[in-house]
Amino acid sequence: MVLSDLATQTIVNGLLLGGIYALAALGLSLVFGIMDIVNLAHGHMLMVGAYIAILLFAATGITPLIGMLLAMVLMFGLGVLLQKVLLKHVVDEGLEQPIIVLFGLALILQNLGRVILGGDARTADIGIPGSGIELGFAYLSFPRTVTFVVAVLLIAATWAFLQYTKTGQAIRATAQNRTAAKYMGINTDRIYVITLGIGTALAGAAGALLSMLFPIDPYVGWSYLLKTFAVVVLGGVGSVLGTLVGGLVLGVSENLGALYLGGGYRNVVSLLIFLGVLLVKPEGLFGGSGGGE
Amino acid sequence: MAFLEKAPGESLATDRRVLGIAALVVLWLITVPFTTTDSLTGLILTGLVFIMLGVSWNLLAGYAGQISLGHAAFFGMGAFVAAWLTTPTAGGFPESIQLPLVPALLIGGLASALIALVIGPVIFRLTGHYFAIGTLALAAVIELIMLDRRDLTGGATGYYIQADLSLGEVVSHGDMMFYLTLVATIATVVITYLIVRGPTGLGMKAIHDDEDAASSLGVNPLKYKMYAFVVSSFFAGLAGALYGHYTLYINPQSTLAVTWTIDALVIVILGGMGTFAGPILGSGLYLLLDNGLSAIVSGYSEAVEGILIIIFIIYLPTGLYGLIKQYVVEETSDTDVAHE
Repeated sequence: MVLSDLATQTIVNGLLLGGIYALAALGLSLVFGIMDIVNLAHGHMLMVGAYIAILLFAATGITPLIGMLLAMVLMFGLGVLLQKVLLKHVVDEGLEQPIIVLFGLALILQNLGRVILGGDARTADIGIPGSGIELGFAYLSFPRTVTFVVAVLLIAATWAFLQYTKTGQAIRATAQNRTAAKYMGINTDRIYVITLGIGTALAGAAGALLSMLFPIDPYVGWSYLLKTFAVVVLGGVGSVLGTLVGGLVLGVSENLGALYLGGGYRNVVSLLIFLGVLLVKPEGLFGGSGGGE
Repeated sequence: MAFLEKAPGESLATDRRVLGIAALVVLWLITVPFTTTDSLTGLILTGLVFIMLGVSWNLLAGYAGQISLGHAAFFGMGAFVAAWLTTPTAGGFPESIQLPLVPALLIGGLASALIALVIGPVIFRLTGHYFAIGTLALAAVIELIMLDRRDLTGGATGYYIQADLSLGEVVSHGDMMFYLTLVATIATVVITYLIVRGPTGLGMKAIHDDEDAASSLGVNPLKYKMYAFVVSSFFAGLAGALYGHYTLYINPQSTLAVTWTIDALVIVILGGMGTFAGPILGSGLYLLLDNGLSAIVSGYSEAVEGILIIIFIIYLPTGLYGLIKQYVVEETSDTDVAHE
């Protein structure tokens, strides 16, 4: 079958978008794999990161690529604070309590977003000059390409951090066996703080990148939570490579769904894929049983 | 933890006292449409809808331990199915399927139960976190599809429901809806009470506490989960149908909105999860907070709800019910000691 130009272009755009989805999902996957908590506020953290970049851009014209770094620093702080003040009371306390605490946090962030910034969607612009790349069979637009490259670089950096640094190894050890890690002298409380900090910072980074492509409003949190969780399910919990592949799969299928079924079904497609994979293979298409591999 | 243990004989006295209070509350509720303004009647009707939502969610989440984040879907679908039956033409259906209000409301609830019955065996392949997110996704899919099917739902603009139960000038449609909602609320509370106090409730609690252990002792987890899910969805659907026919307006974005799930969750957490009286007390508190706070800190109601559920779940996981019980039982045990 020969794909039409439109379909090829849609797939390419989907791949570029999928890189950002993968970055957004990586934080969720890390926190889930290591702390056994599904961060119901993950999408809302992404929204906050996007707003940091948008506000900086609107006030000073500084590119959201710099805004992304600011968002990552601030969101890391938010994650650390969240673990130290709230989640430390409920982590390892079973399922209900962390879910409800994070649900509450999502409500708070959404409300603050609406009150401070208004209910309207806002967007930023990449803010630096540059031109896209013509591949012959498809066109790579400049903002989409830059955001994709940055997202993949951040994923690679996170992977390298987990793989080669002492803290990264301690994080993976905690994911594999919390009790054994404790016996080996790893301060698992500190690991949780760092993990949630990194997870939140990655959500913020993904939000800042998305702000250059799509309008952001205070209610996007739920939809991005489901998208990122879909990626985690596709890729398997705690697998960096799986998350990347899952992100690309979701980006492409979502764009194809929008092309063939109409824009209204963009989210329906991703949710149905998600539910389908969840039901058929809950450990993920590429994943093992979790942990930091 | 003396307050957790019930002395023999004490239970009967406490039950009698609770029944007495319940009877008084119901008697007061019956007078509400005649003694208060229309808007206050509407407010209390909303409170009754909250009780139905909270009690039904608590059956599934608090007793059977299945944290569903898709309750809004069942509330909304109940409302839509009932609206299609009372106002078929607005939903693109032939006039001939039109039904009187009461059967339409019941079928609305049954439709939600049927949806639960069909998707239950599939969605219960998920457990824990996956179940929570799966139900959230399911509700999102239903909302998106309903929003897209303008012919059935009126799309983003929704449509007006035609129903009139008023009895001349004396009893308005809103008042009649209030009484129907009161009857439905009492039915929800009584039926749920019978379930959780019976062997089925015991089975639910067993799978909540330890699914593997219960399963190895011959308790079939799926059976009890399905029971809780179907009953819970029926009452949620009935609540939605009643509320839709009180407001006489329906819209996928508000009727199926995640807000209804949030309401149910906040009510149950405030009142005390997994306790029978919890959602009823929680509804009262929530109604007061929702209206009191929106007057004081308007615009921040969601944030306040978020803060409240965080504080309650960390510091007061047994909720308002736990507080009251602690206080009441300490008081009674003091008198017991004095008698001896």
